[in-house]
Amino acid sequence: MTHILERPTGPLGGSHDDRTDAIGSNVPRKEDDRLLRGDGRFTDDVEPPHVLHMAVGRCPFPHAQILGIDTSAALEVEGVKHILIGSDVRAATEPLTVLRPVPGAPDLHYYALAQDVATYEGQPVVSVVATSRHIAEDALELIDIDYEPLPHVVDVIAALEPDAPVIHPHVLGSNLLVSNRDESGDPEARMAEADVVVAGRFRINRVTGLPMETRGIVVEWRPGARELTVHTSTQVPHLVRKQLAESLRLDEGEIRAVASDVGGGFGLKLGIYPEDVLACLHAMALRRPVKWTEDRSEHFRATTHAREAVHDFRIGATADGRMTAMTNVYATDLGGWNSSFGSAQLSSVVFNGPYKIEDGSVERRVIVTNKTPIGAYRGYGQPEVNFAYERLVDQLARRLDMDPLELRAMNMVRPTDMPWRNPSGAVYDSGDYELCLRMAGDAVGYDEHRKAVRGPRPDGRYVGIGLSSFVERTGYASSRFLARRGSQFGAHESVTLRANRSGGVDLYTGVSTMGQSSETAFAQVTSSVLGIAYDKVSVHAGDTAASPLNTGAFASRTMIAAAGALKDAATQLRDKTLRLAAWRLETEVGTLEVAGDRVQHRSDPDRYVLLSEVFSMAILGQGLPPDEEPGLEATAHFEPPDAAYSFGTAAAVVSVDPNTGDFDVERFVLVHDCGTVVNPKVVDGQVRGALVQGLGAALSEELRYDADSGQLVNGTMMDYFAPSAADVPPIELLHTEVPSPVTTFGVRGVGEVGTIPPGAAVANAICDALADFGVELSTLPITPESVWKALREQRA
Amino acid sequence: MSALEPEVDITVTVNGEIVTARAPARLHAADFLRQRLGLTGTHIGCEQGVCGMCTVLVDGEAVKSCLMLAVQLDGRQVQTVESLAEDDRLNPLQQAFKDEHALQCGFCTPGFLMTATALARRGERLSRNEIREEIAGVLCRCTGYDNIVKAIEKHLEETADADAARVAR
Repeated sequence: MTHILERPTGPLGGSHDDRTDAIGSNVPRKEDDRLLRGDGRFTDDVEPPHVLHMAVGRCPFPHAQILGIDTSAALEVEGVKHILIGSDVRAATEPLTVLRPVPGAPDLHYYALAQDVATYEGQPVVSVVATSRHIAEDALELIDIDYEPLPHVVDVIAALEPDAPVIHPHVLGSNLLVSNRDESGDPEARMAEADVVVAGRFRINRVTGLPMETRGIVVEWRPGARELTVHTSTQVPHLVRKQLAESLRLDEGEIRAVASDVGGGFGLKLGIYPEDVLACLHAMALRRPVKWTEDRSEHFRATTHAREAVHDFRIGATADGRMTAMTNVYATDLGGWNSSFGSAQLSSVVFNGPYKIEDGSVERRVIVTNKTPIGAYRGYGQPEVNFAYERLVDQLARRLDMDPLELRAMNMVRPTDMPWRNPSGAVYDSGDYELCLRMAGDAVGYDEHRKAVRGPRPDGRYVGIGLSSFVERTGYASSRFLARRGSQFGAHESVTLRANRSGGVDLYTGVSTMGQSSETAFAQVTSSVLGIAYDKVSVHAGDTAASPLNTGAFASRTMIAAAGALKDAATQLRDKTLRLAAWRLETEVGTLEVAGDRVQHRSDPDRYVLLSEVFSMAILGQGLPPDEEPGLEATAHFEPPDAAYSFGTAAAVVSVDPNTGDFDVERFVLVHDCGTVVNPKVVDGQVRGALVQGLGAALSEELRYDADSGQLVNGTMMDYFAPSAADVPPIELLHTEVPSPVTTFGVRGVGEVGTIPPGAAVANAICDALADFGVELSTLPITPESVWKALREQRA
Repeated sequence: MSALEPEVDITVTVNGEIVTARAPARLHAADFLRQRLGLTGTHIGCEQGVCGMCTVLVDGEAVKSCLMLAVQLDGRQVQTVESLAEDDRLNPLQQAFKDEHALQCGFCTPGFLMTATALARRGERLSRNEIREEIAGVLCRCTGYDNIVKAIEKHLEETADADAARVAR
């Protein structure tokens, strides 16, 4: 068993020739010094001279017709410069485009300001630009909007009932946007033959990723130059540029999008939002810079929410515990419009988790409701479905009177089965799922717990252990996969490396920096392959004017795709560097190596030439071999052949007070495999951070809407409970390292994994503790109140 | 003075420098530091005193500067994250954060650094659970807090040791 922080450093996998000790080691992060000194450059830190400020007026109703807007009083306020309403936006723009459509879904035209009807509380209706944000907000108060409230529906199941108001009647006959089905074998026949069938309905709460930096945008327009410069807090600068060009009817070449430091993304900052289009329109009308920084109250209503879904799940099994079929039909909430990434789609892809099911089906039903649009959030459907199948596996174990760990182990896909195609077509590449499961059990004393006499501890609390095993898709299964689903981006990543006269390498990437440590990891790979010192790699990230056109930072895909591009570009640079150095040193290329700041003889390190000299030869075009072109830079693109599947098992030890429902997560262990580790500290940080988000979503976070008023009732940080330092249970991380055969260096994605297992692991632990009381939990979040209610129902 | 934006003259010492300024009466202190003084290391996350991004020291005490008006800074001493580095190098607290990988996106980091700076001035060693309680007023969505707690624990130990050594001399 290897602890993540005690793993050996040094070269891992691949060819030794390509490595220094930079891959796999805890090099200091490139990003840290500026962030520690207050020198980060977040969007709101950008302050052009003569900047104006935008404020947005939002619909206060969940569903309303807009009968009229009177802006005359607001326009008279000193300092107010410009006001936009829906008809202005319709005349000047195209609807916002979707990056990751739901396959087969019709287009719900969505303009930056509501047209005749607003479909959720918080939808932008009017925007004002003034000399200060204060004045712009004062002016909003003076705008008279005549609303006619319409019947609304906020519950995903109620939205499908025959009497529900249809939210997009021009496009849809009901609130079902579309349904998609994947199937293999004959699951209904297997269910009919099964000795046991367990079934349940599982409800997953609506939450939000809550990055500490809200969204923001600063726009400058120079009409004579046809240049729109957009500083924005986004994970995908090149996709923002594409979407803005489409909505604003500009050429992509006229737009520069810059995201330097991003204060957390987690999927919420994927693609454009209405406010981005509005700020551009104002700036273009006024020929003045315009800034908008989302305030937190807006953020809770205007930035995408996540997760909300209802899963109906069935598992069929033989009496000795072999799972023979799984079916999953789920309703997933879209909210009032289709955001850039719409509702989460990966529930379907991994609905069978780590279990070898040949006969299975999964059907996704995407439902429109009068709530803030759903978008991508770390995990993108995988935490939701994990809660359903892992809760149900424990119920199956109880029905069969089997050990839940052994039931899992006997049904898992084995290393020798892989590559293995699951019922929805996902190809699990490699890994030892059972090893992770058993390591998790060992870490929490699972066997001792099972053997111990059941009953309360001396303090009166009951203790349970809950497991949650999972398989996680990371990256994309090729551009062909994306094309079939209508996705508007590639599966590849791109990078440019350029030598400079100081003997360093400038690395240009469209991947913006949002905490994922991509600057560090990219420099590590470059240093490893090229041989140059890590400190001599300067990373320039997130500027569309200074990076090759790429895809962006989401879907745990960055390193999976970028590692290949970096390896390719760095190899090109290294090869030419060695050729020039060999010419200069009058020796053979094969005798030389790049080492830190120089190229040296392998056998005689005293014979060397500095990289600054070699790079200057190329940059000046002076002293080159006769057959070499001047210049020393390389751009490479890489698309991995398939997605890589991370995997693992979480184990939670939870004590419960059977009288009050109060519970404590006393230990939480995650055993996880993300393939080859580029930087152990960074991996540890990603996994731990995502786990705490997952625990928050499982135990304390929920965006609640009141059914009668359709209002979000807890849209502030005062009453939306993201975990603080004092709320986090003790977490232990363990680790296996099976390199993926489908990626460069064997890496798998790591950014999202922690969000997946907490809900099921904690719920299973509570249900194990309270097994004698017959408690089965099926709704997130799990709170002392919900446990107490479940206990009371069983007692009654 | 605009009718909409009544303004007030204030004098405040920020990071050792005396500043006189005319601030709108309704401008909060975090906006004042960022917009009027260009000290953008102090971040804003909620403007209702929950998230702690805007934590600075006012007369040595850690306060959430979104809950103060700029005019309330009149006559006070303010210290922000920009003051921490020593001779163009990270100070020991900042270095501890870097060594322990206590930051990811870095947006919350100034809030934790200023909270920890105030804690360290007490000269006490604290248990990890005590540290968790002390820093619960600043939220982080990236790290899961563990490395932040470790970095602060390490720094408090170093500070307490240094204080003890000074007393012994």
